Amino acid sequence: MTPPIGSSRRAVLFGAASFGLAASLPGSLRAAPFDAAAWRRYAERFLLPEGRIVDTGNKGISHSEGQGYGMLLAVAGGDRAAFDRLWGWTQRVLMVRGDGLTAWRWTPDGGVADHNNASDGDMLIAWALLRAAEAWQAEAYRTAAIAIVKALAAGLLVEHAGLTVLLPGRDGFRKGDTLVLNPSYWIFPAIRAFAALPGGERWSKLAESGLVLLSKARFGSFQLPPDWMTLDASGTVGIADGFKKQYGYDAVRVPLYLALDGYRDPYYFRPFATLATHFGGKAVPATVSLPGGTTTQVAASVGMLAVYRLACRLAGIGGGDAVTVPPLAPDEDYYSTTLTHFSALAAQSLGIDP
Amino acid sequence: MTRPVLLPVLLLAGIAVIGGGSDVRAQSNGGGRALAPGVKVEVAPAPGSGSSPAAGKVDETALRYYARIGDGERLEAEIARLRALDPGWEPPKDLFAPQPTAAGVDETPFWTLLSAGKVAEARAAIAEQRRKSPSWQPSDKLLQELDLAESAGRIRSASDTKRWQEVIDAAAAQPEAVACNRLDNAWRLAEAYAELKQTDRAFDAYKTIVTTCPKAKERRDTIFKASRYLSPERLRELSALGATANPATGEDYSTVRSAEAELETGRLLERLGNAKPGALSAADLSRVQGIVRDKQDADGAIALGWYFQKQKNFTEAQSWFSQANGWAPSDKAAEGLVLAYNGMGDKAQARAAAAPWKGKSSRIDQALKAVDPPRGPSGGGRSAPQGPSELDQALARHDFAGCIAIIRSTIARSGPTAALLQQRGWCLLELKRPSEAEASFAEAQTLAAREPAPKAAPAPAKGGASTGGKAGDRSPSAAGLPQTATPAQENAYGQAIARLATGDVTGLTRDLPRTNLTPAQRAEIRASLMATEAGRALEDKRYRDVLRLLDARKELEPEPRNLGILRGWALYNLMRYDEAYAQFKSIDDRLSTEDSREGLTTAWKTIYHEW
Repeated sequence: MTPPIGSSRRAVLFGAASFGLAASLPGSLRAAPFDAAAWRRYAERFLLPEGRIVDTGNKGISHSEGQGYGMLLAVAGGDRAAFDRLWGWTQRVLMVRGDGLTAWRWTPDGGVADHNNASDGDMLIAWALLRAAEAWQAEAYRTAAIAIVKALAAGLLVEHAGLTVLLPGRDGFRKGDTLVLNPSYWIFPAIRAFAALPGGERWSKLAESGLVLLSKARFGSFQLPPDWMTLDASGTVGIADGFKKQYGYDAVRVPLYLALDGYRDPYYFRPFATLATHFGGKAVPATVSLPGGTTTQVAASVGMLAVYRLACRLAGIGGGDAVTVPPLAPDEDYYSTTLTHFSALAAQSLGIDP
Repeated sequence: MTRPVLLPVLLLAGIAVIGGGSDVRAQSNGGGRALAPGVKVEVAPAPGSGSSPAAGKVDETALRYYARIGDGERLEAEIARLRALDPGWEPPKDLFAPQPTAAGVDETPFWTLLSAGKVAEARAAIAEQRRKSPSWQPSDKLLQELDLAESAGRIRSASDTKRWQEVIDAAAAQPEAVACNRLDNAWRLAEAYAELKQTDRAFDAYKTIVTTCPKAKERRDTIFKASRYLSPERLRELSALGATANPATGEDYSTVRSAEAELETGRLLERLGNAKPGALSAADLSRVQGIVRDKQDADGAIALGWYFQKQKNFTEAQSWFSQANGWAPSDKAAEGLVLAYNGMGDKAQARAAAAPWKGKSSRIDQALKAVDPPRGPSGGGRSAPQGPSELDQALARHDFAGCIAIIRSTIARSGPTAALLQQRGWCLLELKRPSEAEASFAEAQTLAAREPAPKAAPAPAKGGASTGGKAGDRSPSAAGLPQTATPAQENAYGQAIARLATGDVTGLTRDLPRTNLTPAQRAEIRASLMATEAGRALEDKRYRDVLRLLDARKELEPEPRNLGILRGWALYNLMRYDEAYAQFKSIDDRLSTEDSREGLTTAWKTIYHEW
């Protein structure tokens, strides 16, 4: 199996995060709203002139997920020039597979390092294109988005155990009757946008099955979803072998994407809120082994804490100050910064924050 | 207190009425309402109560749902629950009238999913609804039922994967998930404590069940469950509590008390089988004798017979074998009787006891050889002295290790004979050393071919106890015309039994047609092969084949208990639950063991949806 975007990468990413940093900072800070100024600071730090987002926590590589996040934030920041640079580099460098999908991983030394796609990266890019088409009334973006959505539907959407699910990549996620899935690849707002396209019924089913799977995929005392899970032919969900058996850097995005799509049922946010408040909303561990519950010494990053604050509010646990989110550090890495901004966007869209 | 509500049952009651759309089947019928045949719910509204304004105080969502789907039992329970919450509350008059949806959102679809066991789907549908209508909240009752169903599922899966602490945590978070109506989960909680060596808490959990759950059957099953973990003393305490605490009217708790005695019998009989003389205390021995007598348990009596036979207490042994033969005549009981009389020196009685089976049961024919030792080249070539030889005595005692030792020293003294090697084969089989047994029979056959005088060198006695259960009991019904086996046939038969015991089914099936056996022997081996095949078919989930093989086998021999259990599981897996239940029940009625109880409980729960 080709290693997909995932746990090993993120484990490296946050290896250096300082434990207890959050505790030393004053509480009750509001998330800074995401606006044009915030976008400019983001672009200065992570967008290179040629149009790629640098994963600063991960040896300066780039990947389809980063391109997608960058394109979405560029639309939100109203920066069409940056958007075009990002989209141009993505097309030129990553869309080399010939099937309309992107190769997921690129390194400064070796170029495209893995030809397999990562479905979440493709979805983020297609969703960004749809938003750009709307924002700037540009049909070409929409056409490009539809092509990607079609390629995803053809190669990655599958029906299994009565559910429509999304394979994390073209190659390597079937083991006999069992599929390996990634709960954080259910980017609900993107799926909703795809479902609204002509012939998008299967995407509606994907959203439904996502909610079903997130209700089933609850493990350990916090009832958290694993970063990587299995779905067998009878519809039973498990924790996938061959990956770290944990909740962590991937699955933390589950509540973020739900919130971004307007979901507010406390039931779906409670596991994350319970985890955060269990640790006093401060030194929350970055990962929790499943189902055992062993936590790492590495603390959740600022961006992860921003997600937890959002989850606590939606779960109605611990009040508005349940989690202390420190401001972004000058050298805050790409992933943490990105999670912070998307948390702010979600809070804004739900009317929680201005 | 009210009974917590049982979800899986909901659907059963629900299907019919939901299928009928909004057609409300309830009919006014005096003060009560007939929801379904035999279900009547009293709804007697107090004057001036029950209309919509009063509904603000209590949550009537579930109540209306049960009314709509026609689940009388749960409707009653819900009415009782709400009355307990608010003694002044009365059921609404319009309970059975079609209701406009209250807050703009009809909860029926969520309840329907929940009732169908689709808890995750219900959660998903609610989340979607809340996304569309942010001001809407599901009723507390719906959320409680969802939490409860999830906790119950979590307890099951944690217990299935042996995550005992999580079982305990989940139960602590949702005590209703381990209430009497979820007995299986309550057992799992107790088991989790026991597995974590928290025996006192395990005992308390079992105690809570047997003192609060009203049904005698549930209390009795709990005693059996607890027997895996608790000491006999604590089980006795548990049975006493279960037989007396909080009795419900119409329940007969005597079966709860007897459960402990049955367990005790099983334990004692098991110990009896392995016991060295005097290993059982006088009190234990007298208890087991009392129980065997009460239940007229022939198998138990035979076990007692052998217990005394091994102690050379032939009189006592004779009386138990005789008792067994009286309750249920069998060649097994007669065999013991023959050997006991022989031990007493009463050869006439021994022969008389053998008479009904002589020539029909190889077991009996061989026992008779201890009574009238065959003359000839056996036993080292000497002519038989007065009374049984040392080897015959060992066999009569079922002392198979002794048999091997005697044969070894005889061979060392005066060389091997075919008869001695064959006897060694039988004794090795009894000692569950089938590969060596097969080799010994083969050696015997080779030697017999070289031995000069084949003049009626009859086969020596083989051990009386069943050969590892695989060969089954030798029964006269299998034999057509009685035919005494030649030594060659006896050797071939011994080898076949040994191959069965080693699991060489394929080879044996292939060689059987060419093997020199008497018809009775052949039938027996075929029956055993079919039994083994049936076992394999069950493992491979070929349930129809299981039944076909067992039916064919039944033509040859009566079905022993273990195959009866097999048949029960095949029926169960073919979803012929009623037949499976009847099958397990008939076995359990004869003698209740863990196997029969497990089958019975599983079939029962499936039929009554009590998982």
